[in-house]
Amino acid sequence: MKMIKTISLALLGIVLCAFFSACGDKNSVSTEQHEHFEVEGWNLYWSEWDLAYSVYRGKADTSLKALHVNANCMSEHIHVKFLDENKKEVAGPKDDEHSLGWDVGDKKILDIHWEGGWGFHLKGLKEGETTLILKVNHHDHADARTPEIRVVVDKALKAEECPFQEDEDED
Amino acid sequence: MKTSLLKVAIGSLLSGGFLPFAFAQEFIQDLGSSTIEAEIQTQTLMEGLREDDDLKDGKLEREISTTIAETIRNEPDVAIRSMGPAAARPVIKGLSGSHVEVTEDGSISGDMSATSPDHAVASEVLTAQRLRVLRGPHILLHSYSAAGGVVQVERKDIPFSDSLFHGYVTWYAESGQPGYATAVGANAYAMGLSVKGELSGRRMGDMQTPDGKLKNTQIENSSGAVGAAYGIGQFRLGASYRWFDSDYGIPGGFIGGHPNGVDISLWKHDLTLRGLYQPSGAMHDTLDVTLRINRYHHKEFEGETVGAEFAVNQEDLRLEKIMANLGPLFGVRIGAELDSRSVEMGGYVFTPPTRSYGASLFAIASAGGWRGLEMTFSGRFGGAFFRPRESVVADKDAIEDRNFALWALEAEFSQRVGVGKFLTLDVFRTTRAPTIEELYNQGPHLAAYTYERGNHKLDAESGYGAEIEYRSYGELLSWRAAAHGTWFLNHLAPRASGDTNWSQLLPIYQVRGDEALLFGASASVQTVAELGLRASAAASYVRGIFRDANWGDMPQIPPFKFHGELGYIWKHLQASAYCDFALAQNFVDLYEEPTPGYFTAGAVLEIRWELALAKYSLVFRADNIFDADVRNHLSRLKSVMPEKGRNFSAMARVLF
Repeated sequence: MKMIKTISLALLGIVLCAFFSACGDKNSVSTEQHEHFEVEGWNLYWSEWDLAYSVYRGKADTSLKALHVNANCMSEHIHVKFLDENKKEVAGPKDDEHSLGWDVGDKKILDIHWEGGWGFHLKGLKEGETTLILKVNHHDHADARTPEIRVVVDKALKAEECPFQEDEDED
Repeated sequence: MKTSLLKVAIGSLLSGGFLPFAFAQEFIQDLGSSTIEAEIQTQTLMEGLREDDDLKDGKLEREISTTIAETIRNEPDVAIRSMGPAAARPVIKGLSGSHVEVTEDGSISGDMSATSPDHAVASEVLTAQRLRVLRGPHILLHSYSAAGGVVQVERKDIPFSDSLFHGYVTWYAESGQPGYATAVGANAYAMGLSVKGELSGRRMGDMQTPDGKLKNTQIENSSGAVGAAYGIGQFRLGASYRWFDSDYGIPGGFIGGHPNGVDISLWKHDLTLRGLYQPSGAMHDTLDVTLRINRYHHKEFEGETVGAEFAVNQEDLRLEKIMANLGPLFGVRIGAELDSRSVEMGGYVFTPPTRSYGASLFAIASAGGWRGLEMTFSGRFGGAFFRPRESVVADKDAIEDRNFALWALEAEFSQRVGVGKFLTLDVFRTTRAPTIEELYNQGPHLAAYTYERGNHKLDAESGYGAEIEYRSYGELLSWRAAAHGTWFLNHLAPRASGDTNWSQLLPIYQVRGDEALLFGASASVQTVAELGLRASAAASYVRGIFRDANWGDMPQIPPFKFHGELGYIWKHLQASAYCDFALAQNFVDLYEEPTPGYFTAGAVLEIRWELALAKYSLVFRADNIFDADVRNHLSRLKSVMPEKGRNFSAMARVLF
């Protein structure tokens, strides 16, 4: 009988040890929750001052023309600014966790050249029309996104005929 | 006529389900006497007959599938909420999430499956000895949600038995999600000490559908358990430890989902300590104390990145006194339950870490009444207390402690209206505390393509309902039919608010309490012959409507479904063919898509024999033979791919 009691206690001890060594108090999350960047609208500027596209609370400014770029050409630099709940412009986050992202409807027509920060160029690949969705990427998710932005790629030009030359931007 | 009724009752009794009652034991001892029937309380017989509906032994072997939800899919009023084959959870009478409790050996499962459609039930179905959809007043012994239900998984991890040595080996394989599963377990007893050990493994590939392979639906599970029990005089003490590890995929490509899907890795560890005090040495007079310590961890990988992470630490203490008789009452169970639960989230999850506590008292008792009418009353009273912590993802104003007083009652009136004929009426008050997501969540729910906003001012859900059931057990056929209705005064659910989150461009769903009516019916019929022709059929229907200006339909309500089976039973062989169909679901909530109906057919061949003190079972199934396009209305993937296509499966089990 004494042996049975000893075996019982030993088994109970093994079970308890197995449990507490397996998890104990270490069961907590290792991935941090992050504060997310919330915006109500987007303003896109050609070279910082010429408004190219604007959307606030899902409604795009229809008085502005669609974004245009010629095939074989790079567009002027487009700068991104954001609108808060009072429709005031705010700059994009400056940390390393957030970055500009995009989805192009037809990647055979349009490409995006990103130069870091909150700016980019359109690169026309083929004459036609497609859509662009811009996103504020945060880790592997988008904190914010635009509705589909219409982009028209006009006829192809030779490199020297493009209205905007890459080195102009660099200057 | 009496013989048939007795057979059914004996089958139930021998299953052990209501052995706790003294009169049940007397019933067994007096088998063969035709006068016995009158001595058995109707409630006791009813409970036994309901237990006869459980999935166990051959019935469980015939139905066994990839998950618990899939395995009980043909039970009355049961549907499946899913997001891929691994993330499947039972829905009862149109109610899902925290309306449906899953318990393992009587204790809460402790996973996160109730909170999101991509979270799996952390339990291996192949190791289950019995699956039961708890109905009636007994629900309140485990949950406040009388309108929903409890799915009980029984494994007997703590081996309170004195069988010298027994065990099992089970093997399962299928083509619909190519892979296999194996489980092996053994119990031994010597000198008052009984021990149990069990291991299982499951490796299944991507699900095959009529439209091709549904990528990222693989499942890899492993689980194990050890348990021991020892009797000292009037005391029986036991402990068990169970672990479950799972890696499974959630497919992508649907609106709101991750383009390449999500890989989920989870583990769950349960330690259970249990003590029984039996002053008379019999199970029908028992004081039962159970402490369950549960740890659960869950990571969702989107590529290399952890998109979401959950850690749950839960402790549950349950005290229960079981008495066969107490004055004029019989089948008495009184108890108390205390639980503490800490939930932490990480990654792209917008609920603050929260600790919650629960305390409840519960009781059930039956009594005889006028002209053979018997009544069973059950109640659960207590509270739930939420203590959220500040978090960068939560609105500071919403971080508010909440306390809920909860009470649920159920009364069942049962009458034997003839030999083997029973009529029961249940009336109940149902309730539940909001979940922490319903209270505090503020963010996008990518799986649902919505922005969900909790409401920290919510009241507890409550409602009143009734169910009437008729059961008839004859010489040739047994059948049951039931109708139920619940009027929710405050049904908690995320509803379209009409607002949009302009950052994510997602419709905002605000959790709120609405008046709602949920009603439905189910019926089943089956032959009772143990040899020869066998036939069965079952159908379920439920409808849910909100009491708003338009009497709008509730979301995620399963359509009418039917299951019919025809077969023949020989001594060691049983062959049957079956068909399932569901009607189209066009009663849908805003932003919810209708789902077309479907028809499928299949066949089952079962072979059973005994040799050298062992029982052998082989079950071969061919499901969805015609490779029909099946869309489950409660699946998030229905817009992308159909459910599993043609599937051949085999199950082999040896019990020794």
